[in-house]
Amino acid sequence: MSASDTAVDLRPPARGSSATAIRAIFIATFTITAFLIVTPLAALLYGSFRTGGPGTNATYTLSNWQGLLEPSILDTLLTTLFISVATSLFSSAFGGAMAWLTYRTDFRFKRALVAAIGLSFFFPGFILAMAWVILGSPGGVLNGFLSGVLGIDSEPFDIYSVGGIIWIQVLHITPFAFFTLRGPLSSMDASLEEAAYASGANPWQVARRVTMPLMIFPLMSSLLLCFVLSVEQFAVPAMVGIPGHVNTLATELYLLISFSPPNTGLAAAVGLAMSAVTGLSIFVQRRVVHRRNAPTVTGKGYRLHMLQLGRSRGLAEVLCLLYALLSFIIPSIALLYTSAIKFFVANPFEAAWTWRNYNQIWESPGTIRSLVNTLIVAGGGAVLGLALGTLIAYSTHRLKPRGFRALDVLASLPFGIPGIVIGLGFLWSYVWLPIYGTLWVLVFCYVARFLPYATETVGAQIVQLDRALEEAAWTSGASRIASFRRIMLPLLRPALQSGYFLLFIAYFREIAAAALIYTSKTEVLSISIWSFFENANWGVASALSVVTTVITVSLMVAMTRAPLKL
Amino acid sequence: MGTGITIKGLVKRFGDKTIIDHVSFDIAVGELVCLLGPSGCGKTTTLRCIAGLEAPEEGRIEINGQPVFDSEAKLTVEPYRRNAGMVFQSYAIWPHLSVFENVAFPLRVRRAPNAEVETRTMRALAMVGLADFRTRSAQQLSGGQQQRVAVARAIVYEPDVLLFDEPLSNLDARLRDATRAEIRRLQRELNVAAVYVTHDQAEALSLADRILVMSEGRIHQAGTPQEIYAAPRDAFVADVVGATNFLDIAVHTIGDTTVQGVAPDGALVRATGHMTAPGPARVMVRPDRLRIAADSGDQGGENCMYGTVRQRLFLGGHYEYAVTVGPTTLRAFSPVEVAEGGRVAVSFAASDCIVLETKDAS
Repeated sequence: MSASDTAVDLRPPARGSSATAIRAIFIATFTITAFLIVTPLAALLYGSFRTGGPGTNATYTLSNWQGLLEPSILDTLLTTLFISVATSLFSSAFGGAMAWLTYRTDFRFKRALVAAIGLSFFFPGFILAMAWVILGSPGGVLNGFLSGVLGIDSEPFDIYSVGGIIWIQVLHITPFAFFTLRGPLSSMDASLEEAAYASGANPWQVARRVTMPLMIFPLMSSLLLCFVLSVEQFAVPAMVGIPGHVNTLATELYLLISFSPPNTGLAAAVGLAMSAVTGLSIFVQRRVVHRRNAPTVTGKGYRLHMLQLGRSRGLAEVLCLLYALLSFIIPSIALLYTSAIKFFVANPFEAAWTWRNYNQIWESPGTIRSLVNTLIVAGGGAVLGLALGTLIAYSTHRLKPRGFRALDVLASLPFGIPGIVIGLGFLWSYVWLPIYGTLWVLVFCYVARFLPYATETVGAQIVQLDRALEEAAWTSGASRIASFRRIMLPLLRPALQSGYFLLFIAYFREIAAAALIYTSKTEVLSISIWSFFENANWGVASALSVVTTVITVSLMVAMTRAPLKL
Repeated sequence: MGTGITIKGLVKRFGDKTIIDHVSFDIAVGELVCLLGPSGCGKTTTLRCIAGLEAPEEGRIEINGQPVFDSEAKLTVEPYRRNAGMVFQSYAIWPHLSVFENVAFPLRVRRAPNAEVETRTMRALAMVGLADFRTRSAQQLSGGQQQRVAVARAIVYEPDVLLFDEPLSNLDARLRDATRAEIRRLQRELNVAAVYVTHDQAEALSLADRILVMSEGRIHQAGTPQEIYAAPRDAFVADVVGATNFLDIAVHTIGDTTVQGVAPDGALVRATGHMTAPGPARVMVRPDRLRIAADSGDQGGENCMYGTVRQRLFLGGHYEYAVTVGPTTLRAFSPVEVAEGGRVAVSFAASDCIVLETKDAS
């Protein structure tokens, strides 16, 4: 290295970003996030004190909050709590049982079970509800089967009930419990159980006395999560509860808006009350997750003892098969069937087969527009959501400028706010924002609703990356922005890929957040399916559902198979 | 050429804890200075302040005559403008780039033309012996190879200063010895000022032109390895730099260069050092400076103590003895063979027995 071949100036570049540029980016990120999340909440708060909707001649009032104590609302609250508690108990029990079977016993079809649970996870909730209406309503397939084949005419199955809501919600939410519980179950310290075996306990005693108590905190976490998911649910109670005169808070909110005249003020109060319930639950759940006092994670790599199920194994396998059948196999068949017949009849042998329903999709400009809208919102919106999520994750985990904790809290708020409430918030905000009636309000609403998905996915990967990887880039002469571009982004590629898929799928099938803010021009697929269904056009609704499910499942497969090369 | 590194009055706080407490030192061009001390002493933080990865509260840092930090002038230069080459403890090799691209990165960031990038990168790789590895993915490298890539990357753009953050601590012992010598050779060849952080005394003694022993954010003692080893300022420095024996003696006579006192077992001890008045003192003798001889009964005189061999470990070239002398146990390295339980005479020269500043005195 002599002076003679110093043809290039080896001093570090004089240009490059300074601290002010970084600060500007952070402030922009913070402002956008605050705008997206605080706007609907502030609007709701404002609206809850108003006698009338935005743009009307309204005054301030406390009557909306007093209205929360009306017997009808309290009744709805109790119904919601009952349904959600029941759902969370059953879902956690079934999800936990299947996780236990998969990771702690000699169950034989583990990979198939995990795949089946994955498929139910991605099966959209409102489509599941539709399928079960086809199956379980008076006049539906099951009652028709009983009547036509067994001669039982009493139509005992009625999906339009509290029981029906719980049934469908449990089928839909069990996979969440499975995924929440499988981590702790499979990373338990084996020696705790082995010590019990060595002391003479039989496997069932060990499961009851050692495994279960160790899983208390993960179980609590699962119960809370399932509870929140159930309270938030809009599609299932809307399709199944409204016809049966069963109201949950979510549908109550919707009805308050869609009736004439709309009671937007009371809806705002109901929405905030709902958020208080879900927000508190999420807050408690996070505390619980951090207090995992059970010595579960072991570095030693001892293989966990697999319980021999013996004679019960066959029964367990049949029950799991039953779950798969009920949660997506039979519903898919029901939808395929309904999509392919001219008029709905419970007996397939009496059905008139046709492609008409599918043709109607392609021939109807409204439906095509709905499909295009959904692709734009999901495809484009996911890019925005991912970009914002990445900026937030990078700010809170790496840059840590003044104010980053506030940003972290802001970005995690949507976890505790139901989709329909965010939709209501954006509805209330339209007075100030000229975007109502465009696809932008849907995009903003979705980005806000699912922001935590993006920040958590990207954040989890950022945290895994050695800080020194970026510091080495800085000391080598790269500015902060150059090092982000050359080092951070390439290393984040797996998280960015899976984050995009996750957001796309979530936006694609969202119905609750869209239900209050769509217009005829900005209809999306989920709303279209629901409309067709409400108008008793089960055929086209099913055909559209089949199309939606195929797209969602294909994306899910692509996501899990996508080569995560760096 | 350049003037190396100048640090003046560096202060770094974290909350109400002071991590670096008014540290000042200079490093000349071509000099390798080790920051040595236990964890938490502030050595790594000092290094990161020089690199620009931490922001001190007060002080002044100059690299190559240019100020890169000055709290009074409110001047801070970003790390990517300081032209320092840093080798991280975890190596921080980028997994998505090849070996060549890892080393070439600083040149690419400086927009060097491709021909220059090629020449300089290959030269740096050759200097660390990895010229054949250019197309390897970074993920396929062993720890030692990653370390060498990290070094190549730090030198490829001829930095004004080299910074090493415990670069050998993740390597196994044999690789450590070999790489140690390599680092020294490289630094000499490049003739740059270097700061080397370590908690390992052998590394510090073998690599450094000067050692700065640090504790609790302050420099305890600065000097050449020989000075630090032979004449530590106090018990802490003595202990950090090598195994040592401490003796508490009662000094009754003070001379020009030596003092005389009585050891706990009654033996007369003459030690090198200064005291203001007679009284208790702590002295140290290195284990390799103690002479072991079987007790034949007729040795005596000053600096000779008698005791029993409590334990003996064979280390190939010599024995390591634990000898009980009165209430004290002395560690000694000696090729002489004495059985466990045997009586020995332990003797040493006055020049090898150093008076340390006792806690009361300092």
